[in-house]
Amino acid sequence: MRPLTVQPMNDAVSELPAGSPSSEATLLRSVDAAGAPVDSPELWIGVHIFDPGAVSLERLATSAQRFTPRVSLVAPDGLLLEVKGSLHLFNGTDGLIRALANECGTAGIKPAIALAPTPLAAMVAARVGKPFIVTNAAQLVGRLSPLPLTPLRWPQDVVERLARMGVRTIGQALRLPRAGFARRFGPEHLAELDRLTGRNADLRHHFQPCERFRRRRELTYELENNEALLAVLAPLLADLGKFLRERQCGVTELECRLRHRHAQPSRCILRLAAPVADVARLTELLGERLSALTLPEPVRSCEIRSGLPVRRVLASNPLWQPGEYGGSGGPEAPELIERLRARLGHEAVYGLQMLAGHRPENAWSTREPAAVNGSGAANDSGSRLALFRSTQAVPAPPPWPAFRRPLWLLHAPQQLEEIDGAPRRRGSLRFFGDVERIETGWWDGGDVGRDYYTVFDIYGVQLWIFRERAEPHRWFLHGVFG
Amino acid sequence: MTAYAELHCISNFTFLRGASHPQELVERASILGYGALAITDECSVAGVVRAHMAAKLLRLKLLVGAEFRLECGLKFVAIAIDRHGYGRLCRLISRGRRAARKGTYCLTREAVAAAGLEQCFILWVPATQPLKEDAQWLSECFGTKVRIAVELFLDGTDKQRLSTLEAIGCELGLPLVASGDVHMHMRERRRLQDALTAIRLNIPIAEAGWHLYPNGERHLREQARLARLYPAGLLAETVAIAQACTFSLDELRYEYPHELVPAGQTPTSHLRHLVEEGIQRRWPQGIAPAVRASIEKELALIAELRYESYFLTVHDIVAFARGERILCQGRGSAANSLVCYCLGVSAVGPERGAALLFERFISRERNEPPDIDIDFEHDRREEVIQYIYRKYGRERAAIAATVIMYRPRSALRDMAKVFGLDPASSDRLAKVMQWWDGGETLPDRVREAGFDTDDPVLNRIVTLARQLVEFPGFPRHLSQHVGGFVISEGVLEELVPIENATMPERTVVQWDKDDLNDLGLLKVDVLGLGMLSALRRAFALVNGFRGTKHTLGSLPDADSQVYGMMSRADTVGVFQIESRAQMSMLPRLKPECYYDLVVEVAIVRPGPIQGDMVHPYLRRRANQEKVDYPSPEVAAVLERTLGVPIFQEQVMQLAIVAAGFSPGEADRLRRAMGAWKRSGGIEHFKEKLLGGMAANGYSDEFAQRIYRQMLGFGEYGFPESHAASFALLVYDSSWLKYHEPAAFTCALLNSQPMGFYGPAQLVRDARAHGVEVRPVDVQESAYESTLERLEDGEPALRLGMRMVKSLSEAAGMRVEAARIERPFESVQDLARRAALDRGDLEALAAAGALAALSGNRHLAYWEVAGTERPLPLTPQGERAGSLEEGRPLLEAPTEGQRIVADYASVGLTLGRHPMALLRDKLVRNRLLTAADLNCVAHGRKVRTAGIVLMRQRPQSANGVTFLTLEDESGQVNVIVWESVGREQRRAMIESRLLEVQGELQRQEGIMHVIAKRLIDRSSLLGELLTRSRDFH
Repeated sequence: MRPLTVQPMNDAVSELPAGSPSSEATLLRSVDAAGAPVDSPELWIGVHIFDPGAVSLERLATSAQRFTPRVSLVAPDGLLLEVKGSLHLFNGTDGLIRALANECGTAGIKPAIALAPTPLAAMVAARVGKPFIVTNAAQLVGRLSPLPLTPLRWPQDVVERLARMGVRTIGQALRLPRAGFARRFGPEHLAELDRLTGRNADLRHHFQPCERFRRRRELTYELENNEALLAVLAPLLADLGKFLRERQCGVTELECRLRHRHAQPSRCILRLAAPVADVARLTELLGERLSALTLPEPVRSCEIRSGLPVRRVLASNPLWQPGEYGGSGGPEAPELIERLRARLGHEAVYGLQMLAGHRPENAWSTREPAAVNGSGAANDSGSRLALFRSTQAVPAPPPWPAFRRPLWLLHAPQQLEEIDGAPRRRGSLRFFGDVERIETGWWDGGDVGRDYYTVFDIYGVQLWIFRERAEPHRWFLHGVFG
Repeated sequence: MTAYAELHCISNFTFLRGASHPQELVERASILGYGALAITDECSVAGVVRAHMAAKLLRLKLLVGAEFRLECGLKFVAIAIDRHGYGRLCRLISRGRRAARKGTYCLTREAVAAAGLEQCFILWVPATQPLKEDAQWLSECFGTKVRIAVELFLDGTDKQRLSTLEAIGCELGLPLVASGDVHMHMRERRRLQDALTAIRLNIPIAEAGWHLYPNGERHLREQARLARLYPAGLLAETVAIAQACTFSLDELRYEYPHELVPAGQTPTSHLRHLVEEGIQRRWPQGIAPAVRASIEKELALIAELRYESYFLTVHDIVAFARGERILCQGRGSAANSLVCYCLGVSAVGPERGAALLFERFISRERNEPPDIDIDFEHDRREEVIQYIYRKYGRERAAIAATVIMYRPRSALRDMAKVFGLDPASSDRLAKVMQWWDGGETLPDRVREAGFDTDDPVLNRIVTLARQLVEFPGFPRHLSQHVGGFVISEGVLEELVPIENATMPERTVVQWDKDDLNDLGLLKVDVLGLGMLSALRRAFALVNGFRGTKHTLGSLPDADSQVYGMMSRADTVGVFQIESRAQMSMLPRLKPECYYDLVVEVAIVRPGPIQGDMVHPYLRRRANQEKVDYPSPEVAAVLERTLGVPIFQEQVMQLAIVAAGFSPGEADRLRRAMGAWKRSGGIEHFKEKLLGGMAANGYSDEFAQRIYRQMLGFGEYGFPESHAASFALLVYDSSWLKYHEPAAFTCALLNSQPMGFYGPAQLVRDARAHGVEVRPVDVQESAYESTLERLEDGEPALRLGMRMVKSLSEAAGMRVEAARIERPFESVQDLARRAALDRGDLEALAAAGALAALSGNRHLAYWEVAGTERPLPLTPQGERAGSLEEGRPLLEAPTEGQRIVADYASVGLTLGRHPMALLRDKLVRNRLLTAADLNCVAHGRKVRTAGIVLMRQRPQSANGVTFLTLEDESGQVNVIVWESVGREQRRAMIESRLLEVQGELQRQEGIMHVIAKRLIDRSSLLGELLTRSRDFH
């Protein structure tokens, strides 16, 4: 029996210029009567996103799983859906494509959509951006022929060499002798043409969405005691531990939500410097945070939500205890930082770094305390609170003697009162040492022109003050020596 | 107050460190009342001549020195005490520079110890942490000449530093001296200095950090401030050192090489001997007494000024070239002497006006060498250069430097980088400047291109870039002069340091031609001239084809048909008179004899045009205006140009005969004119000139006119002495074009790149003159273009493989050799026998040169792509990769594709002009062809379009841009006034295919379209490509 096929009526649709991102245009009016059998064993929808920066491909793939479980990513701007089995659920190709376009529309994009019996054909046709719906494998080559070669995304050099032979469309390429083509352009490109036309199979990885942990526990009683919270959370945390172990992942962010009768839920967010999977540690850190939490009302239910699981590299534990035989730089440094941060707040703990620059206020900055997975910082013997590390781009050491800078630099210079042009602070000041002139920083608008002096005030405190080079020559206090 | 002399000061010739010109430093030091100033650029004396000239004017004592940083980190400054010390200093600089790649130097302690710097003061410049051991080493090497330089910059450690150095000085017995490590003449250059540092390190300034100086103290500081900073003794020591140094650049005396004189002869007698030989050759029937008298006068003057060796040097170089059959010709003032005519240096003899006034070339007063430029065949100039190196050795001969200055584009690009703009924006910013835009237009251009100049960062970029390009422009690096050779009797590197050039085996001195001139050093210009190469090729082709023996100067003289062709402006490819401006002058001037050509060459120059000399001359030539002279003396000067000064020499002579200048003064005037745009200073000549003329009874109106014309001349006046030599080549090339167009075009094609027109225009012109041109074909073509004999015995031009883009010369030669053996059977055969790789074959396929072997380009590409390099053991007969393949189904290229491919590979097409393919569409839009325009009356509104061949914006034309459009019927000249050009700049600059709407103008047989509206139609050309693509 000859299979019954339905052919889309392309000609009825006015063609838009190539590349026009209109979902309307790519929606075909076809007379594919619902439920009409189609002959190809697979049917693929290619989705080409014109502006891949606008949407996350993974998110789109997740929502596309509504239409079929077989979704593949074609990074960076394409998606493939095998829809043969789902057609009848969406009232045929037309309905399915319309539903898919709507789905994309809600994500804020208007992609080009094409349907073909092979995944590569669907993808290529979608990239061309003109209406393309082929359900019959026998028609595929004919419909592909006028399409240009460029959407195949072959190396520029191959495309150029083909163009020099006057070969610019897929049809022209398919018409070349196979052996000659393979010899000139490599078997991989011939194989790709074969996958395009269905002559060879085209296997695709299926997309699997990424999971997060989220578990909630309703309490049968109202809990008022902060200390008891941990006990209540323990089963949830145990589940989390299992979840992470199974996936060999750790988390860097954990949220604990406590719901009350009337008040807004209390939230407690734990941020970690390195991925952690150890439930005991998580419990300990969470305990620190919870104990600092003030509950507005008793707790009625609690919930644990994880951030995105991060793949964890498992390492051996050191043989030595910290401090033993010089074995200091284990994982305890980040632990300490996390514990401090859990108690003092995230922003209260930071690292310091020196910057190359003559302006005192620009000579240092704060940064994240030592990246934990990085090789250097964890081994830094001085990694206590402030972890010094200079920026990478400036190889030269400071030409000025940095030790003459006061350890305590004021956030903003403080103007000093003057009597007869002489600066005063809690009395007169006694000058001492050399003048240091700093004139620089004009390139970012922070031009300074100052003469710095070291002085003693009447209490014997050593101060670092400067006088502006420009009118009106005011005096400022900028730092205090230890 | 204690006086002060600055002993450590770098100028902007320490590239990308120093932030002030040498002149600025000298001026500032003079204003501050310094006792002396030392210019101590880092391992260089490139800036000292400029400083010297400025210091002479201001009567400031200038010391010459250099700063060195050795490999071990030791840094010191050496200052020359006397000539001997200077020579050794130069030698040390040469050692350091020659030992490293261009732009850098490398010195070790051993080299310094062996340099013999006894007659130099050595200033030790200690590092932040002074190493006593360094001082000790210097002290052991140089003893009492060593000083410790104390440089205090308010960095907070001044007192501590002073006491440390005092302690070292005390211990080693070394005196201390104050110095300032000056990088700029005023504190205001601090920003520029910071930016230069960032450019040097190639990092954005925000990342430069500690590489920048913390403050702007490294400038020429006021003496009062120095007195507060330094102990008086240290300041006094500076003056003591300055007084001990007696060396001045004025002491440099030049000695010419002497080995050109055979044993037993003096230079005078040898020169006379050579001249007598020349007389025998030039006038075999005997010499006229007047000519003989002139020669004697010249010889006497040469002997008096002791220039014999110079003439002998030039003669020697020319004789070498003659021996090697390299065409050459001298030009320039001294070249047109009768002595040079006899020596064979120039071909301009007395009958052509040589030696009209020898004193205008060499004067007794000015003690500077005469100037002779020798043009050699461009292709073979290198042989001459290598001969000079061989003959005199690298110690005695080197090429003059050219100082490469910042141009608006490079300045913008570098500054954009300093401020961390991404490369794309930097590029866009740099592209807003066209080569003709001056620095002053920079902010406007930047704004026009859509950049916001109120943006502070952009504002800083533009401000600093302006500082870099503002007169006289910041030097960026030294490059080699086109061919100015310095040759000396003694060791050259004791006169001026020598350093490596970019080209391997090339060395340049650290001074440019102005510096050399200022110091009166001899320079022979060995220049390359493409036309001489083309002429040699053309003579060889003609002689080979017809069995004649033509060469330079042997062609039949005064051929009226040749002059007729010139008068029709039918001069594409002809030397000098092929430019558009020349072509529009030719029908007006209608040259009839040799001297008309001399005028023609000189008159189409910015000088005569700005001085408004062209129209009076043309009117007088056409007898529309009476020729009158205010005096017989003036008549003698201006008679040959109908009373209008056209040549630079005439202006000088006018100054002599009318204003009473001495020849030496006149020459100074010439140089001032040449440089007045550069440094000003023609004003004081004005008074003398006007006063002199008034005293000699000339009317004020006449005097003012002459003065105006002089200003107009500026540096653009063309000397008759050069024009006279060029005119000979104009005639020879015209003769060849008229009588042997195929050979002439063939020679030009083989000499590309040269001249005003590309291969496409040359071939189009040759075909218009009836020459059959045949395409590149591996079965027929040689590497170079050749002549093939037609049935009627006339030559046809076969394009050579040289025209094929990206085909290497070696590959082309192999194809030629293999084909001469026997014709190729197939592409495979070609690839094997000529050992071609895929790239070569593709290049040939792109050119359509494989048509005879494989058919159209598409098929050729298919075959080429399937060709594999044969394995070494494959037997000759067996075809590598002889898999039986089906013939591919490939469509033939369309006409449009063929034309585009022709242009892309060969640079020209023998098919239809691309415009012909668009013609239907253009006709529908009522656009006229170039041929149509010939039938349009003056003053009518017209629309036309064509491919933009050329854009020109002569400096003399006040912002007017000239465009040349080409279509299938010919060329159209378009004039774009400045206002139109400004408004429609994009279309004017970016179009490949341009539509012009405007008014047609005709004047004396010349047709222009005055543009009103310019429309970029380049997309039509793109359509040509895409349409041809869509057809199948």
